Amino acid sequence: MSHLEQISALPEYIALTRARKKIVWPLSIAVIAAYFALILTIAFYPASLGSPVANGVTSVGIALGLGIILYCMVITGIYVAYANGVIEPLTRVIAQKAGALK
Amino acid sequence: MKLKTLFAFSLTLFAAAVWADSAPKPPVNVTAITMFLAFVVVTLGITYWAARRTKTTADFYAAGGGITGFQNGLAIAGDYMSAASFLGIAGLVYTSGFDGLIYAIGFLVGWPLVLLLIAEPLRNLGKYTFADVASFRLQQKPIRILAASGSLVTVIFYLIAQLVGAGKIIEYLFGLQYETAVIGVGILMTLYVTFGGMLATTWVQLIKAVLLLSGASLMAFLVLSQFGFSFETMFSESVKAHAKGTAIMAPLAQKPDAISAISAISLGMALMFGTAGLPHILMRFFTVRDAVQARRSVFYATGFIGYFYILTFIIGFGAIVLLINNPNYFAADGKLLGGTNMAAIHLSHALGGDVLLGFISAVAFATILAVVSGLTLAGSSAISHDLYATLVLKGVRDEKKEMRASRLATICLGVIAVLLGIVFENQNVAFMVGLAFCVAASANFPILLLSMYWRKLTTRGAVLGGSLGLLTALVLVVLGPTVWVDVFHHEKAIFPFKNPAIFSVTIAFIGIWLFSILDKSVNAKAEEAAFDAQFVRSQTGIGVSAAAEH
Repeated sequence: MSHLEQISALPEYIALTRARKKIVWPLSIAVIAAYFALILTIAFYPASLGSPVANGVTSVGIALGLGIILYCMVITGIYVAYANGVIEPLTRVIAQKAGALK
Repeated sequence: MKLKTLFAFSLTLFAAAVWADSAPKPPVNVTAITMFLAFVVVTLGITYWAARRTKTTADFYAAGGGITGFQNGLAIAGDYMSAASFLGIAGLVYTSGFDGLIYAIGFLVGWPLVLLLIAEPLRNLGKYTFADVASFRLQQKPIRILAASGSLVTVIFYLIAQLVGAGKIIEYLFGLQYETAVIGVGILMTLYVTFGGMLATTWVQLIKAVLLLSGASLMAFLVLSQFGFSFETMFSESVKAHAKGTAIMAPLAQKPDAISAISAISLGMALMFGTAGLPHILMRFFTVRDAVQARRSVFYATGFIGYFYILTFIIGFGAIVLLINNPNYFAADGKLLGGTNMAAIHLSHALGGDVLLGFISAVAFATILAVVSGLTLAGSSAISHDLYATLVLKGVRDEKKEMRASRLATICLGVIAVLLGIVFENQNVAFMVGLAFCVAASANFPILLLSMYWRKLTTRGAVLGGSLGLLTALVLVVLGPTVWVDVFHHEKAIFPFKNPAIFSVTIAFIGIWLFSILDKSVNAKAEEAAFDAQFVRSQTGIGVSAAAEH
């Protein structure tokens, strides 16, 4: 087995690819879905965004728009927290073991 | 020393160009001129310092890889927050409220995707440009030619848009002639990049980002303080002041037809996926040590950029309330002086008099300089690292020759950009930023994404599909309303949509998929077999340091 094949057989490596898949695709879809939901609402139901949130002037559209900006920051925060807690320890073990395999 | 002489010569040229300018001068704003000169002196000083540390191609393209995640996050934000987005989005919010916010969101939503899908594997696989990654297991020559073409088209359109905008703003703010302004900006950006490479460019970005973020924060704070820090009060005052009333709180097009609906979706795609295909942004990930720092960079960048767009949104609404009823800021024909892009600039005067106006004007100028420098560096790297080193040197490494080529490429790009900036003076160039994002989304992004994640991608698939995406984007923009009607003055557009991304991105992905699975060549088999090793490296970073040494 080549060095890289040995690495890809490590249980930590398998855990790493699984851990990444588990976080990367759901979060990506969450961002794409939220954005296109807004764009499609603008394109097909623009009137719905004009209604006020409470009794004031602030509209649903403005609240959602600013909300999406914060949402993007939160998504990156979730990923970084997960990467530091789960992905990094696995990567470090893999790097150590890969050094020993050489 | 030759370097020194050239440096001094360009500076004299710059001074002479500004001196010889005989445009009628508006009242001189001392704060603006002082701050602007201070910025130029400091950044040239940094360039001089960086020039002595820029000896190898690794220094020139990637600042030696020694930038921290936080610094790089700020520098990415600096690269991304252009004067066009600061003045443009504030101006859009000023004219149409909610619709301006849509643009701001579009420019931000690509960032989580860059973090989740691109940043870490890109750092683990590449060295200086995204073409390194795309060509990792594919054939060097065709892939690099394609990636470099995608990069150069993106960079040139983006540069023209920024330079024309820069010329207009400087002409208005500092009273210089348009040509002088464009030549001045061109000389400064060429100086930064040619001598200081990535190190100087990064520090120019950092200073600019700090200036822009503090200037915009101050303005937003002053605006909110007028309304007791209540968004609701700000909105209700805006609705009272604005001619369109409550309509500015929702999309202005309340009954959009199919064409404008599809255009909106298409623009959304271009902005979201284009962000992940901008060569000057992708290049930044190679200035940090490893994937951990790359991840940190995007986290900070997203925070800074999102915060910045919230500020511009507040500034736009502040401009509605504070400018609309003040005749000082309007010409006799009822239009805002200098056009709606000047809303943020006039607002700074309304908030803090000549001092704040001078500060914000100088910040706008610094912003322009920083963004065009980043673009120029990305363009010259595509020429020297992807084209020259692969095609002319045929992959045989020659530090000296490659460095010379990259500096020469920078100077050529500077000259071309200035000439095009002058040619396009009286054209509406706003569509060019959209086009740059569209090309990045239709060519660079699909090739990069699939090369990292799709096992069956082959050279033939990437080249044919990527070229199809690139050409579709270009041809459809020319046949669409923004060029066919607005630039060529034909009566009706052949292609009805303003933004073609929905078609060109789809065509690129389908083309790449189809030509890859139809590819039964020996090469295709080898490329598929090389995927596993590439994937292990992209996920773990093992093998990266070894590659950087050779």
